[in-house]
Amino acid sequence: MGCRVSVHGVSGFLLFLSPAGLMGIDAFINPYLFYGAVVLGGLGICMALPRGGKTAQIVRAVVAALAGALVMLGLGAKSVASLPNIYFYIFSAIGLGAALRVISHPRPVYAALYFILTVLSSAGLFLLLSAEFMAMALIIVYAGAILITYLFVIMLATQAPTEDRPEELAEYDTVAREPVAATTAGFVLLAVLTTLAFNGVSTLNPPPPGTPDSVLVQIPRKVERVLRGYQLIQKDEKVEGFNRVSGDGVTAIESVVIKNADGKTREIAKEAWPEELRVRNVEQLGLNLLQDHPGSIEIAGVILLMAMLGAVVLSRRQVQIDEDAKRRQSQTLAQTVAEPAGQGGTSGGAA
Amino acid sequence: MNMLASIPGAMDAVITGTTLAQASAPAPMAASQLAHYLFVSAALFAIGLIGFLTRRNLIIMFLCTELMFQAAGVALIAFSRFHLNMTGQTFVIFILTVAAAEAAMALALVVLLFRRRESLNAEEFSEMKG
Repeated sequence: MGCRVSVHGVSGFLLFLSPAGLMGIDAFINPYLFYGAVVLGGLGICMALPRGGKTAQIVRAVVAALAGALVMLGLGAKSVASLPNIYFYIFSAIGLGAALRVISHPRPVYAALYFILTVLSSAGLFLLLSAEFMAMALIIVYAGAILITYLFVIMLATQAPTEDRPEELAEYDTVAREPVAATTAGFVLLAVLTTLAFNGVSTLNPPPPGTPDSVLVQIPRKVERVLRGYQLIQKDEKVEGFNRVSGDGVTAIESVVIKNADGKTREIAKEAWPEELRVRNVEQLGLNLLQDHPGSIEIAGVILLMAMLGAVVLSRRQVQIDEDAKRRQSQTLAQTVAEPAGQGGTSGGAA
Repeated sequence: MNMLASIPGAMDAVITGTTLAQASAPAPMAASQLAHYLFVSAALFAIGLIGFLTRRNLIIMFLCTELMFQAAGVALIAFSRFHLNMTGQTFVIFILTVAAAEAAMALALVVLLFRRRESLNAEEFSEMKG
C-alpha cells in the first residue's frame, strides 16, 4: 500500500517536472530564468544569514536582491501589456528587503523595527489592491499594537549590559542554526509554491466587471442621507427602492425610486447621482463581515478573550515572601495605621 | 526615465500610477498582475520560514511567524482584488485576530521561560522537565 502511494507520488513529481507541468508557469515567466533566480536568491540569503564572524553580509544581500529583481523583470517581460502599478515594485522591494533584514539582523530590537517596515510596505500593497480599510487596520494593529508588545518583551528579556562586558550579543543571536538546510527548504518551498500558484492562476478566468453599487440596495438610509445632503429629495420624500437591470449575469442599479408623502413616486437616474453616492471599501467590508460571517466574529472574540486570560495567567509573577518577612511587614503596617500596635500585628501575622 | 520609456507599457504604469487609491468600482485585474502579487507573497512566506528555521532567539522565531502571516494576508487580498470579492479582506481581519492572540500568548510564555533560564535560546528549552 505504502509502496503504491510512493510510486504514485514519484510519478506525480515527474509530471510536475515535465514540460506539461511547467505550462502554467511559462505563461508568466521563463521557467529557466525563474528557477535560476530562485537558486541565486537562495545562495544570497544563505550567505546573508548571521554566521558569527564579521562578514560583508550586505554584499550577499545584494545577491538576493538581484535574484528578486531578475524574477520581477522576467515576470514583467511576459506581461508587458498589463504591468502592475509602479508603486508595486517600490513596496515589494522595501518589504522583501526589510523581511531579509528581519531574519539576518543579529540584534532583536532592530529585527522588530525592520518588521515594522515590512508591515508598512505590505499595507502599501493593500492600498494598491484597493483594500484601504485593511491597510489602515494593519498599520494600527500590527505596527501599533503587536510590534510594540514585541519591543517591550525584547527589552524585558535581554540581559542588561554590565560593567565588565558592555554590549555583548548573545551567541544564539549571532550564529544561525543550519543555514544551508533551512535555506534549501525555504527556496524549494518557494519554487514549488510559485509553480503551483502560477499553474493555477493561468487557468483562472477574470471575473465579470464588478458592480459594487449593487450593495447600495442594502443601505437605503445612506442613499437617503446623501441625496438629502445634496438636496436632490425634499423633506417629505423617502427612498422607496431601486430599479435594477440585469444582463450578462450581472445586476446593476439603474435608478433610485423616491416616494413622497402623497404616495407619488419619481426616479433619479444613476447619471444624476452625486459623486459621493458610491459604496466605499469599509461599507462593503462591513456588510460582508456582518452578513456572511457573523459566527466567525463571535469565534474571533472568544479567541481574543482566551488569549487575554491566558496571557494574564501565564505572566503573573507569584511573589513569595517568607513568613517572618510577612509578620514583620504586617507589624510595621499596624504600627503606622493604629497606635495600639500589639494585637493588630499578631493578627495580621497569623493571617 | 529613459530606461522606462524604452519598455512598452511601463510609461502607462507610471502615468496611471500617480494615485494610490483607486475608484470604488475597480477594473478587473489581469492574471499576470495577480501572479506578481502571489510571487511577492510566496517570497515573503519563504523568508519567514527560513528565519523560523535558522534563528535561535525565541522572540525572532515568533517575529518570523508574523512574517508568514503577512504573506498570507497579501495573497488573500490579492485574490480578493482579482475576484472582486470582499471575503478575502474579511479573512485578513481574522488573520489579524489570530496574530494578536498568538503574540499575546507567545510573549507571555517567552517572559515566563526567560525568568526560568535567563536566556532566550530556543535550544535551552529542548528538555522541558518542569
